Amino acid sequence: MSPAGCSHVSGFKVDNWKQNLRLIYQCFVWSGSVETRKRKVTLNSMHQSPVPVLFFSHSAIDLLYGGIYCFVCQDYIYDKEMEQIAKEEQRKAWKLQGRNISDYYQCIGEKYSMWEPTKRELELLRHNPKRRKITANCTIGLRGLINLGNTCFMNCIVQALTHTPLLRDFFLSDRHKCEMQSNSCLVCEMSQLFQEFYSGHRSPHIPFRLLHLVWTHARHLAGYEQQDAHEFLIAALDVLHRHCKGDDNGKKANNPNHCSCIIDQIFTGGLQSDVTCQVCHGVSTTIDPFWDISLDLPGSSTPFWPLSPGSDGSVVNGDSHPSGATTLTDCLRRFTRPEHLGSSAKIKCSGCHSYQESTKQLTMKRLPIVACFHLKRFEHSAKLRRKITTYVSFPLELDMTPFMASSKESRMNGQYQQPVDSLNNDNKYSLFAVVNHQGTLESGHYTTFIRQHKDQWFKCDDAIITKASIKDVLDSEGYLLFYHKQFLEYE
Amino acid sequence: MKMEDMSLSGLDNTKLEALAHDVYSDLVEDACLGLCFEVHRAVKQGYFFLDETDQESIKDFEIVDQPGVDIFGQVYNQWKNKECVCPNCSRSIAASRFAPHLEKCLGMGRNSSRIANRRIASSNNTSKSESDQEDNDDVNDNDWSYGSEKKGELIQSNPNSPRRSKSLKHKNGELSSNVNPDLYKYNYSSGISYETLGPEELRSILTTQCGVVSEHTKKMCTRSQRCPQHTDEQRRAVRVFLLGPSASTLPDSDTMLENDGYDAPDGQLIMSRLQWDGSSDISPSDSASSKASTNNSESKRPKKKKKPSTLTLTTTGSGGERDKGQERERGDRDRVVCGGSGSSSSQNALGLSSRKKRPKLPVPLAPSIYDDLN
Repeated sequence: MSPAGCSHVSGFKVDNWKQNLRLIYQCFVWSGSVETRKRKVTLNSMHQSPVPVLFFSHSAIDLLYGGIYCFVCQDYIYDKEMEQIAKEEQRKAWKLQGRNISDYYQCIGEKYSMWEPTKRELELLRHNPKRRKITANCTIGLRGLINLGNTCFMNCIVQALTHTPLLRDFFLSDRHKCEMQSNSCLVCEMSQLFQEFYSGHRSPHIPFRLLHLVWTHARHLAGYEQQDAHEFLIAALDVLHRHCKGDDNGKKANNPNHCSCIIDQIFTGGLQSDVTCQVCHGVSTTIDPFWDISLDLPGSSTPFWPLSPGSDGSVVNGDSHPSGATTLTDCLRRFTRPEHLGSSAKIKCSGCHSYQESTKQLTMKRLPIVACFHLKRFEHSAKLRRKITTYVSFPLELDMTPFMASSKESRMNGQYQQPVDSLNNDNKYSLFAVVNHQGTLESGHYTTFIRQHKDQWFKCDDAIITKASIKDVLDSEGYLLFYHKQFLEYE
Repeated sequence: MKMEDMSLSGLDNTKLEALAHDVYSDLVEDACLGLCFEVHRAVKQGYFFLDETDQESIKDFEIVDQPGVDIFGQVYNQWKNKECVCPNCSRSIAASRFAPHLEKCLGMGRNSSRIANRRIASSNNTSKSESDQEDNDDVNDNDWSYGSEKKGELIQSNPNSPRRSKSLKHKNGELSSNVNPDLYKYNYSSGISYETLGPEELRSILTTQCGVVSEHTKKMCTRSQRCPQHTDEQRRAVRVFLLGPSASTLPDSDTMLENDGYDAPDGQLIMSRLQWDGSSDISPSDSASSKASTNNSESKRPKKKKKPSTLTLTTTGSGGERDKGQERERGDRDRVVCGGSGSSSSQNALGLSSRKKRPKLPVPLAPSIYDDLN
C-alpha cells in the first residue's frame, strides 16, 4: 500500500526534513533510552489535552503512536516516506529497549507488525471477493487421510499433530527455515501437510510422501505391516527434531536438554528420578528428557493396586472413589509412587560406598507444553501377549500439580495436604486429542478424536471425518491421550 | 496530575491502589487509542473490509452433521480410486496399495529380502525362462491395480495374467484365444502392446520406460529405464525398431527422478539397510518413562501375526516359474486378507483392470490480471 499523504503535509518535505523528522520521533515518540523516556513523560504531563501531541503550524504528531494529523484536511494522514522513517525509528527504539531489560531478551526480535496489502494485492482481493475464512463452524483445518495400506497408525498421529495448536501456529506462520541439503526434510513435509489441511479441499489427502520420508529416516518402522501408533509418534518426533536442526544423519550430538527446536519446545519434558538409599537416606537424582509418559494399567501382569499412601492426586482432580473405573490420575499416582527396589536390585550408594537397598520415585521436573500419555494396553510379557481393554476414565481438564517434583518436595517436608492453589495455572492441561485402538494385538484399527474451535470434537477415521460429542470422546477406551497446557507464558 | 518525584514507601495502601488504578487506566486508554488508529488507517487505505467473507463461501465450508456423510457432506468410502506417484520409481500407484508397493520398491520390510534372495538364486540359473519369471513377478504384483472395482471388469481383466490363466488351467506359454489387443491398449499388468500405439504415444512411453519387448508376451517392459532385466543395447534396439534410426539415443540418466526401484539384488546391501542406528546419547525417543516401570514386559508394537493362508489356488504346476509365482502370491494375498484397517480391503486380489490414457495437450493461458504474479 502506498499511502499518498496530503499536499499540506508534503509541504514539509524541504531541506533536511528527513533528519528533522527522525529527531522528532526519537525524542518524543519512540524513546529508547531512559533519559528520553523521562523527558517524554515530563512533556506529556505538562499539557492538558488527553492525547499527547506535538503541534506544528498546521499539523501535529501524536506522541503515542506517531500518527500525523493535518488540520487542513482534518484527518490523520498516511504518507509513505514519513511512515518509512517512523517505522525505522520505532524498530530502533524497540531493539534498544530490549537490550536495556536484559541481554537474554535481545531475542525478542522484531516488533510485530500486521500484514498490509500492497496496491496490487488490494486490487486482486477486490477483484476476487470469495474468501476462505476460518469461522467457528467451518471445516477448514480438517481433512481426511487416505489409508495407504495398514497405515492408520500413521494417520492417527498425523491428525493429532496437525491439531496441536502451537505446532499449527508454527507451521502456518511459516517459521521453518530449512537448512537441509537434500529435499528429504520431514519438517518441510509437515509444513506442506498443514497447507493441505488448511487448503479447504474436501477430498482426503494422500500422505504418500510422508510415508516415504518416514520410512527413509526411521528404518525400523519401514515395512508394510501394522505398526504401533505410539512407536510411530516417538519416531516421528525424533526425525522432526533432528531435521529441525538441518541434520540428516543424526550424527551430531544433539543435547536434548539444550535444544530449542519447536519439537523440543512443545513436547519435551523432564522426568526426575530420585533413588533414595534406605540406609543413609542420601538421594541421587537424575533428570531425563521425555516426550511421553507410558502408564501401566490394572489388569496387566504387574500389580497396580494398592498405591502407596501419601501420593495424593485424587482431591485435586476431583475424583475420589472407593472403587470403580480406574482414572488417569490413578495411573499417574501409581507412576509417581515411591517404589521399593528390592534386595535383588541393590544400588551402589555413593554415601555408604556400598550396595544398599533403595527406593526409587519418579516425578515431573518440567512439564512439556503438550503432554502425551500412553496407556500401555499391549502386553508382551514372557507368558502372554494380549491387549488390556480395561476402561480408564480420563478427564477433560487435568491438573498435574500433585505429580510435580516440587509438590513431592513439599510433601517430604511434612506438608501432606497442600492447599489447592487455584490461582496457579502453571500445571493445568486440557485434552485435545485421543487416539483409540480397536481390535486385537495382531490386527486392529486406529482412530483419533481431535478438538477444534475450543469445544468441538471430531472423529478422524482415515478418510472419514465426522462430528463427535464430548461424551463419545470421554467414553472411548483411550490409548494415547494428548493434553495441552492451558496457559502459556514466556520463560 | 502534577509531576514530581515521589517516593512510594511513604504511601499507604489506598494511595498505592489509586496509583495502580491510574497506571492501569492509562494503559487501557493507550491500547484503545492504538486500536482506533489501526482501524482508521485500515479504512483510509481501503483494506478494512477485506476479510469479510461472502455468504456463499461460508456456506461452502460449513460443517455437516448428518448420518451417512462426513463433515464435508460426502458419502463414505468413495475414495477407492485415488492414486499417487511413487517418489522412488515414479510410477502411478493406487493409494490404498501404496505402502506394500513402497516396501518392495525400497527393498525394505520382511519380505523384500526373501524375494531378493530368491531373485539372486534364480538369476544364477540364467535361462530364457528367467526373464519370463521376472515378468510374471511383476504381473503378480498387486500394486498395479487401477481404478474402479466394478465387478464387470473382472471378467475383462488381462487374459495373459498367470492368475487368471491358472484358474483356467492354461499351460505355460499358451495364450487364451480371446485376446483382443485393442481392448488392452495400455495393459500395465504385463507390459504395453506396442502394435496399437501411435508414434507420439510410443515416444512418450519410451522416454520414461524401459520398453524392451518381451519375446514371450510380445509386450513392452514397463519398468524404469535402468531396469536390470534388460540391457541398454536392448533398449536402444527397441527404440530404433519402433521410432526409427534417429531415435536411438536414450535420454540422460540424470533426467530420472529417483533411484531405480529394483536395485541390483544384493542381499548384503538390503540387510544392512534394514538396520537403524539410533543416536547414542539418551534422547526422548528412548522413552525413559516406558523403561522406568518395573513391568518386565517390553513394550513392543502389536505385530500382526502371519496367519496360514486359507486360500487355495488351483494350479497345474509345470516348471519352477509357476511355483514361484504361486508362493509369492500367497504372501501377498495373506497380507490383504489379514490386514486390519478398514479401507485396505482385498480389492486388489480380484484382478487387474486396464486403463485408458490420453496424452493431454497444454492449454495456452489467456492473459489476465494474474500475469505478473509469480
